[in-house]
Amino acid sequence: MTTERNPQLEALFAKANAELDDPGFRLELMRSIDRERRKTLVVWTAFVAASIVCVALFAAPLVSALKMATSLLPNSLVSVEADWLQQLLAPVNSVAAAIALGFLALRKLYRRLFG
Amino acid sequence: MLVSLSQTGNRNAFAELVARRQTWIRNLMRRCSGDRVLADDLSQQVFLQAWQSIRQLNDAARFAPWLKQMAINMWLQHKRRNDPLRAADQHFDSDSPHRDQPAIGMDLDKALGALSDDARLCVVLSYHERMTHAEIEALTGMPMGTVKSHIRRGTRRLQEELSAYLAYSEELT
Repeated sequence: MTTERNPQLEALFAKANAELDDPGFRLELMRSIDRERRKTLVVWTAFVAASIVCVALFAAPLVSALKMATSLLPNSLVSVEADWLQQLLAPVNSVAAAIALGFLALRKLYRRLFG
Repeated sequence: MLVSLSQTGNRNAFAELVARRQTWIRNLMRRCSGDRVLADDLSQQVFLQAWQSIRQLNDAARFAPWLKQMAINMWLQHKRRNDPLRAADQHFDSDSPHRDQPAIGMDLDKALGALSDDARLCVVLSYHERMTHAEIEALTGMPMGTVKSHIRRGTRRLQEELSAYLAYSEELT
């Protein structure tokens, strides 16, 4: 695609460009870069420190909760006498299955209402 | 080479890149904004953003167009923010003399200041950056017809405002 320009104006634009090579601009920029780098370092340090504190504070209750969940999730909802039937129904007859089905049902309802 | 070094986090290489490109970017921002201080402020932000995202640049040879795109996006963002205080401050300070600004530059900025924001951007991209209409359309998101009309009217307006310079250059040729 051709783009016609006025040659005199083009020359005027070229002449109007000042030579801007003062070191002050560059120095100020490098200072800003250093400031940003320090800021990033401070934020990351704070994040890591906060994470360490959280792990130290909540490690024990978190492990207990996980243990409780792993022991609770496979429990059967309805007791079945026959072993073979209990094993057959195991994927749906458990706390974990109930939670998963509940989640899927809620998601479907949400999509139907707001989707 | 300098771009590749900068991508590894070499500050000196990036400082050299800035030294080589600052005239171009600062002049582009001056033509867009007409405000020397604002232009330098935005140019600083452009280079800072370039430093922060230079690792994402896949082809080092594309550094100049990548930087130009960043500069123009920075200007468009600034316009979108439309800070009224800053806008009130923006006075196309062409009447006050500046050590590093030739008179022709000040008069050009004053003439550009008479155009609307969009028209000024189109004219600057066309004449300062020598971009085609299609490139301006792609970069600014303005329709082709609008770009053409801005450039046509802007050119006419600049010819009127800068008639003295143009007549002088005609005499010389």
